[in-house]
Amino acid sequence: MTPVVTVVDLHTDIALSKGTVRPVSGVSFTVNKGESLGIVGESGCGKTMTALSIMRLLPPGGRIVGGSIALADVDLVAMDEAGMRRIRGDRVGMIFQDPMTSLNPCMTIGDQVSETVLLHREVTREHARERAAEVLDLVGLPHAKERMNSYPHLLSGGMRQRVVIAMALACDPELLIADEPTTALDATIQKQILELIDDLRTRLDMAVILVTHDLGVIAGHTDRVAVMYAGKIMETSPTPELFANPRHPYTEALFRARPENAGSDRKLYAIPGLPPDLSDPPRGCRFAARCAYATEECRAQEPELTGDNHAFACFHPLGINQQAAPNPPTPLATAQAAAPLLEVRNLVREFPVTSNGVLQRKIGAISAVADVSFTVGAEETFGLVGESGCGKSTISRLLVAADTPTSGSITFDGIEITGKSNRELRKYRGDFQLMFQDPYASLDPRMRVGSILREPLVIQHRGSAVDQENAVVRLLDEVGLPRTALRQYPHEFSGGQRQRIGLARALALRPKLIVADEPVSALDVSVQAQILNLMRDLQREHRLTYVFISHDLSVVRYVATTIGVMYLGKLVEIGPAEQVYTAPVHPYTRGLIDTIPLADPQRERRKSKAGVRGELPSAMNPPSGCRFRTRCPRASDKCAVEEPLMLPFSVQGHRAACHHPLRSPIPLSTSAHTAPPRP
Amino acid sequence: MTGFITRRLLQSLIVVLLVTVIVFILLHLLPGGPARAQLGPRATPTAIASFNHQMGYDRPVPVQYWNWLTQLATGNLGFSTQFNQSVISLIAERLPKTLVLTILSIILALAVAIPLGILQAVRRNNLADYVITFWAFVFYATPSFFLGVVLIVVFSVYLPILPAEAPQSASIQVILSQPGGLILPVATLALLTIAQFSRYMRSSVIENLAEDYVRTARAKGAGERTVLIHHVLRNSLIPIATLLGLSLPTIFSGALITEAVFNFPGMGQLFWTAAQTQDYPIMLGITVLIGVVTVIGSLLADLAYAVLDPRVRFA
Repeated sequence: MTPVVTVVDLHTDIALSKGTVRPVSGVSFTVNKGESLGIVGESGCGKTMTALSIMRLLPPGGRIVGGSIALADVDLVAMDEAGMRRIRGDRVGMIFQDPMTSLNPCMTIGDQVSETVLLHREVTREHARERAAEVLDLVGLPHAKERMNSYPHLLSGGMRQRVVIAMALACDPELLIADEPTTALDATIQKQILELIDDLRTRLDMAVILVTHDLGVIAGHTDRVAVMYAGKIMETSPTPELFANPRHPYTEALFRARPENAGSDRKLYAIPGLPPDLSDPPRGCRFAARCAYATEECRAQEPELTGDNHAFACFHPLGINQQAAPNPPTPLATAQAAAPLLEVRNLVREFPVTSNGVLQRKIGAISAVADVSFTVGAEETFGLVGESGCGKSTISRLLVAADTPTSGSITFDGIEITGKSNRELRKYRGDFQLMFQDPYASLDPRMRVGSILREPLVIQHRGSAVDQENAVVRLLDEVGLPRTALRQYPHEFSGGQRQRIGLARALALRPKLIVADEPVSALDVSVQAQILNLMRDLQREHRLTYVFISHDLSVVRYVATTIGVMYLGKLVEIGPAEQVYTAPVHPYTRGLIDTIPLADPQRERRKSKAGVRGELPSAMNPPSGCRFRTRCPRASDKCAVEEPLMLPFSVQGHRAACHHPLRSPIPLSTSAHTAPPRP
Repeated sequence: MTGFITRRLLQSLIVVLLVTVIVFILLHLLPGGPARAQLGPRATPTAIASFNHQMGYDRPVPVQYWNWLTQLATGNLGFSTQFNQSVISLIAERLPKTLVLTILSIILALAVAIPLGILQAVRRNNLADYVITFWAFVFYATPSFFLGVVLIVVFSVYLPILPAEAPQSASIQVILSQPGGLILPVATLALLTIAQFSRYMRSSVIENLAEDYVRTARAKGAGERTVLIHHVLRNSLIPIATLLGLSLPTIFSGALITEAVFNFPGMGQLFWTAAQTQDYPIMLGITVLIGVVTVIGSLLADLAYAVLDPRVRFA
């Protein structure tokens, strides 16, 4: 095995006006030819800075202050800038997190890929373009030759990420660094991209460094893992070994925080606190403050990373097979036949598309939500899943009457809310509230937290000023924020804390229903666990009903009593959460489950390779018949002609709309007699 | 695209019509009236009445507006009695001179401000950036009449190397044949514009340098020059295009104050004279022209967006 890159005792500093941050302090690893190393950890633990140190592309103020990085025989730390430029893009390629922003919007993709070639090879423009077309084809961009002159905005996120990969590969690099390459993508696309990187690694015999926060991604796509925390590697070993037998308490905590490893009380393990401030790291073991096993020794002295093949830095490592085995998912009580709080009937939302003429005639419609019906019982959690663009967020806006449906009805607590004017709706608005995805963009940066939480009360004229202030203090207590937060601004809080503020705001009017649109997608797994636990506690306390929207089926399965699966505006499958997850009926649901990366290398490798192929078609002219047929492995001629009806698959209300379901439906008559009809 | 342009032009027509209505009303609200202003303070009431009658100023304002509008539809902007010339020929005489002045100053401003803004963005918070920022603020805050006078004092009085006044000829050829007279007015306008454009360019480049695609370009091995010229420049010019489109009206209306300071016989000076004598036809004519140019300028700015930014497509 030839080492491609060897990092020894790397130290990187970033000088900021308020002091020096040390995001990488003493990191060492080697990646061999054809091998893939995963670097995993929470955000802010130095993963990305390690990757950028190798590229020598640190942000302003960043500097490598110690250690060495050897790329084959070249020392990258000592290299001058001109030399580094010759290495970047030629011998080391890099893929970034967000394909939406990492391409130049004003340059065609052909030019952007050929630029790499032109920078490093003495070739003509035509040759560079030929090579670009070849690489774009290699990364699986359909019709690569014809697409050379497309601008990035014409491509979907997954296709853009393929272009970014093509740019990184254009000069056959020895090392490919992928920094969270799929975090911004849908699970179905994530699977495709990760498989592409795997495939390219084998074919081109490259070394790969895969930086991610997701243990599931690491499990299926790496040979070795390095777990980073607060700028240091805490544990490193071959991937199967680490997953079978994590020794460091931090690694264990990352596993336990995953929703599929929820305890028998369905409470998630949340790592307490936050990673330390890296401008003034604590003495001793950096994880000690958050570690359940920490002793005085840990706080006084720093453990060394020891061990050959499986190394870890801990005075009190977990014994072999000592860690809590993942609990088998506890079967939830099937959804109680509670009185329905929310009834959605034949909901349709179309957005008109107008012509380019003078009169702008309506020439078509984007069918965002097409005939969706479901019922949510009181105090239930209804989980809505699907890829981006399937209409989940449109439904969330319709449910809280922030948008008006084209047709269909929404009944909330016995009152029809569709067709009511804003004035009439005002008195009901306090009963249904929205919680948003992005904790950074959804809070007004110029308002103090106190005013943010009080605003809903002021708008709805709830109580006197004193009552309102007391209510705000109570809200802060409930979501676990200190009272000092009242006078602070949103930017003073971390992502998780902001999401607590968002939850408190949604709770302010004591609603019956909270529609949470991707509430934990922007959070780290440890913080995600804290927010999910909090949402569960508040649900019990305030008898809340949730509509929980997410693209992440494993999170939805954990929180929801009922799951609805949406595809391109249609509800394709609905039923009790465990039934939908463990015995899906619709090929799309099956495919979605197959795309979830499992934090278990054996199961991950055994798992069906199927997933969901291709990309979501346009909602402007959705496929006829069954909308999923263009990506469905079981599709037949019938699927193109006839739209499948919702059929029952269990007496508990598991239903799906498919002509070729994975098992046969139960006879209609049985279901009608034995169970109350659940839509 | 054609649909978009047609719609925008129709909207523009309405905007221009509204502008003329407002200007018409405002003009007639002015105290004094054109008769008093043009015939002088000693004019007899009879003379004023006969002037007003002759010009049609004694009729109801809506009727006057209608007459003016129907004339406008045939391409006639009216007649200025005090210049004894039609408004169109007055504008035709003055406009080329103003265009020479304003276009030269804008070209000069762009040629200086764009590299200056890039330099500042690349060296941000260094000495060069601070020095340029200081001067940009100084010029931005200086009124043009003051800057013009300072330039005259320095370059025409102390070091008499440049004329303080533009050539007073009706013909454009004469003005072009004595380019020395253009230097100071062009410099005055350009300095003020540079101060403004360089600030925009600086912040636009800083914003783009922080974008992810710049990091991607560096990861490809691109050097700073390639990053700036191939990637950042085009993206940074997008806001400047808007700024240029919106400065089109200034290009046509001339620089009222700068033209006055240098006694430059352009549009600004013509408007200034017309305003002092309440010469309705000239003021209306120039206002219509500026109105048209303003809406065309903002349309051009939007079209420039579409050319520079492939993400923008009009429908």
